[in-house]
Amino acid sequence: MTSPIANWSPENQERANKILATYPEKRSAIMPLLYLASLEHNHASNEAMCQVAELIGITPSQVRSVSTFYTMFKQEPVGKYLVSVCTSISCHLLGGNEVFDSVSDAAGVGHNQTTEDGQISVEHVECIGACGGAPAVQVNYELIEGVTPDKARALVEWLTQTTPAVVLADEMQQLFGGQRSFDWGPAEHAGAIAPVPAFGPYGSAGGDQ
Amino acid sequence: MRSMPPSKEGRQPLSDTKNAPEMVNITINGIQHEAVAGERVIIAAEKAGEYIPRFCHHPKLDPVGKCRQCLVEVEGPRGKQLLPSCAIYVTDGMVIDTQSDVVKKAQKGVLEYLLINHPLDCPVCDKAGECPLQDQTMTHGPGESRFVEAKRKFKKPIPVSDLVLLDRERCILCDRCVRVADQIAGDPLITFNERGNQTQILTFPNEPFASYFSGNTVQVCPVGALTSTDYRFRARPWDLEITPTVSLRDTVHSNAEINTSRGRVIRVYGATNDHVNDGWLSDKDRFSFGAINSDERVTTPLRKTGTGFEEITWADAIDTVSARLGAMIGTEVGSIGGANNTNEEAYALSKFMRTVIGSPHVDAQLGDGFEPQLAAAVIPRAKIDDIDAATTILVWGPDLKERLPVLYLRVRKAVRNGANLVVVAPTRTGLDAIATHVIRYRAGSGQDVIRKLANADKSMTAILETLAEGPVVTLFGRTSIAEDPRLAESVAAYGRTLDGAKLMPLLQRANVFGALDMGLAPNLLPGRISTTDTDASSHIEETWGPLPDALGRDTAAMLSGAVSGDIRALILVGADPVRDFPDPQAAEKALEEAEFVVAIDAFVTDSSRHADIILPAALWSEVEGTVTNLEGRVQVVGAALPPKGQARSVIGMLNDIATSMGAELTSFDVSVVSKEIATVAPAYQGITRDGIVFTSSGAGIVVPSQEAEIIVEMAPRYASMAPDAVPTEASGSAVIVPAQGTQPLGYIPTDQAVPMVTDRYTLHYAPAMYDDGVITRHAPSIADLVRDPTVGLNPRDASILAVANGSIVVVDGSVELPVRIDEAVPEGSVVLPFNHAATKGLQAVPAVTVEPIRDES
Ligand code: SF4
Ligand code: FES
Ligand code: FES
Repeated sequence: MTSPIANWSPENQERANKILATYPEKRSAIMPLLYLASLEHNHASNEAMCQVAELIGITPSQVRSVSTFYTMFKQEPVGKYLVSVCTSISCHLLGGNEVFDSVSDAAGVGHNQTTEDGQISVEHVECIGACGGAPAVQVNYELIEGVTPDKARALVEWLTQTTPAVVLADEMQQLFGGQRSFDWGPAEHAGAIAPVPAFGPYGSAGGDQ
Repeated sequence: MRSMPPSKEGRQPLSDTKNAPEMVNITINGIQHEAVAGERVIIAAEKAGEYIPRFCHHPKLDPVGKCRQCLVEVEGPRGKQLLPSCAIYVTDGMVIDTQSDVVKKAQKGVLEYLLINHPLDCPVCDKAGECPLQDQTMTHGPGESRFVEAKRKFKKPIPVSDLVLLDRERCILCDRCVRVADQIAGDPLITFNERGNQTQILTFPNEPFASYFSGNTVQVCPVGALTSTDYRFRARPWDLEITPTVSLRDTVHSNAEINTSRGRVIRVYGATNDHVNDGWLSDKDRFSFGAINSDERVTTPLRKTGTGFEEITWADAIDTVSARLGAMIGTEVGSIGGANNTNEEAYALSKFMRTVIGSPHVDAQLGDGFEPQLAAAVIPRAKIDDIDAATTILVWGPDLKERLPVLYLRVRKAVRNGANLVVVAPTRTGLDAIATHVIRYRAGSGQDVIRKLANADKSMTAILETLAEGPVVTLFGRTSIAEDPRLAESVAAYGRTLDGAKLMPLLQRANVFGALDMGLAPNLLPGRISTTDTDASSHIEETWGPLPDALGRDTAAMLSGAVSGDIRALILVGADPVRDFPDPQAAEKALEEAEFVVAIDAFVTDSSRHADIILPAALWSEVEGTVTNLEGRVQVVGAALPPKGQARSVIGMLNDIATSMGAELTSFDVSVVSKEIATVAPAYQGITRDGIVFTSSGAGIVVPSQEAEIIVEMAPRYASMAPDAVPTEASGSAVIVPAQGTQPLGYIPTDQAVPMVTDRYTLHYAPAMYDDGVITRHAPSIADLVRDPTVGLNPRDASILAVANGSIVVVDGSVELPVRIDEAVPEGSVVLPFNHAATKGLQAVPAVTVEPIRDES
């Protein structure tokens, strides 16, 4: 029988096997595999969920039950850059909604929508744990704190024009950020290469560049 | 392969277990009670007379503590705590309060929450009137809501399968349906999705809840969120009349209740008999009642004319039948069928044939079962409860999931509780996914597997280790209609050699075990007596008068006799040999050639259309009486309705025919016939319909039983017939001792390997749950669920034949079907669905040819 992920990139196939081997109970691999599948399919598509189900030996319905619980497993295709604007309390109080409006206006699409060229998806999200640096924004889950509406607009334009292969929190913070919640410590070198969090073992991190 | 989560509660204590469960003392509302250690508090309280409200708790499902309706106060080291009583277990000295103000406030609060999003559309909800949410809101609810915001809105209803609809607005997220699908049925196809504010039950897109057990979710749903397509908006619960009965869609005889409204069967619900079905039904049990209401029912006696059938009166029909049969010698008449009838009807038929007609030619099986004495009287016979108690279960017979679905659930439950399972079959079965070992063999070569097992062949080491862990219950039968029936005998003989062996014969048709017990087999007399047992026969002759001397013919011999002229008349009793006999063409020819054919049937079938006279038969739900399941349990079926039109019970029509022939048969009263059985049939000594109703508290009685009320004393030999009589070995070869006499196994495994068929494909020919049977065909809810037919081929054979998935091949020069390439099909075999419209007419022979259709252009 051919593997359900026969059409995945060889690297990701290998990653999937490694992930499966890590867990004594195959079912525990569901979350990492869903990230990998999202990386392969751009989102947790039905096809991706079926593949994960087959790898683990459960039904697609059981996979979907997990996948739909987490907003970070996307049910619909997303753009190359996923811009998430926090509109929870702290950010809301410090202008998160205005930041969102400005992102949305610059990109020309609303919440949970993607630009026609497939470059940018916009969403407003619940607290992303950066309340001290509100209002906060993420691009492919890489964080920027203290974003103003103007900076937000500039961020979207920068993404559209320079289309970086990797987005890096430190870099974006420098360009578009403001007040930070705390000292982030030594600079990170690995940014995200896709609208999936930058996890080294899942191949979604950009590496040392 | 899908993994199965282990049951959290471990092995269930058996009802008839000898080591009593450990008892502890608990206090409920200030009163001391004894309770079973480790039992859920909600159950212990219920036994003590304290009903705690609940939604998600279900005694047959693992606890989840989801709804919080069952909160009680339990004293702990840090004072009283509110805990969900369905998810905590009784310990010694536990102090529980189910009535305190705190508890009441909690229950009210939970209900107020549950109702926040519930649409309260009770006036248009099927569940209203039998709705736990409604009832508990009345008894424990706050009476008013502080919630003024908008409720959740969903599209309503959406189909989750062909049979079940889902109204998500009504759902209270109790997780019962999800657990039934996962833990009981093993089909986790419905789950909670979008968990959070929008939590909802859903299937995966384009993967419907296609479970054979989907109807159970409708029954366990504590609100009207899950409804069945065929009941929705048809009735109100308070208008329903309820008749307790058992399902006759297979030989498990799952307990059920028939719900009727205004003279129609409107719903079938599962009833709980823990010895049989735990309350579950298969969808076939539940949704096939549509056939009873079918407009195609035969409702008057019919006489064949040149062009078709004409309606005639009963008097005319009885006269014709008795005149024609009366003009023949007894042994020129044979009867086929009786497995779809009650024990009383089968008894009347057996007596009618042997005394009024004077013919020994009776057979309730259609050449699709196996040796009747083995089926009726295998010893030591397993009860369904023995499956729970077994350490190892060996299943070598029909695919339980397809043919005996509720027994499949029982085996699943045992495996979930830790039993080993060995499955032997030519191709994939529903149990493979949870089996410890699966043995597949080329169809037709089952003897090789037995030989290897019996000789401890090296390839079997791991399996033999498992089989050495007794007690072992062996479920045996024919895996396919093309399989040699003697293989089942060998399997039984092998199973009997295993540690702590118990054996369960797997025949599948309705009440076939009852029919065999009533003597509807050429070599059996009522009460599991061999026809060669002169001693016992003379006991029966005391009531019946002399029995025919001649040797009885089975269905195959009757059909061939009809062609050769030895048999002049055939009586078909709810039997459709043109569909069910392994050689349909031979059956058809026999019915054409026979001088006189009378069919007692509810439909004009491929067989009954050849009859000279069709007598309209009452169906399940229209006749009362007793029936016997595959463990020998006698239970009661109820009549919810009068028979449709002029249809009648078989007892009535046979009595009339007998009278018209100048003989006397039996009473018209089922209770009286049942008493006659209790006095005539040794294994049924003392077992009467009324006795079962009044003494067995609904559980039925497994025959032979020493507990039955003794009506007449039988000869000591039969009176002492013990259910667990010890099998004996005789003269080197395995011998099974039925209730009386000895029965040598016809076919003992030899040391020789089975000769290989190389020029053809050995045939595995077995029906699926939804087949082209007459009831399925006439039940609108399930008629469309018949799967598309395919020819299953091993990848190797497919490549030899140069065919791909979907290529059309011709089987045995007659049947054209698309190929399904499947590793689970053994090399050299071909898998076809039996009793499917597409394979109609294909003979069940050991091996067939398979030829690809070549593109000729
Ligand atoms: S559909 Fe019914 S059974 Fe299923 S979770 Fe909802 S309320 Fe419970
Ligand atoms: S509220 Fe925006 S990051 Fe916490
Ligand atoms: S019945 Fe106990 S939490 Fe639902």
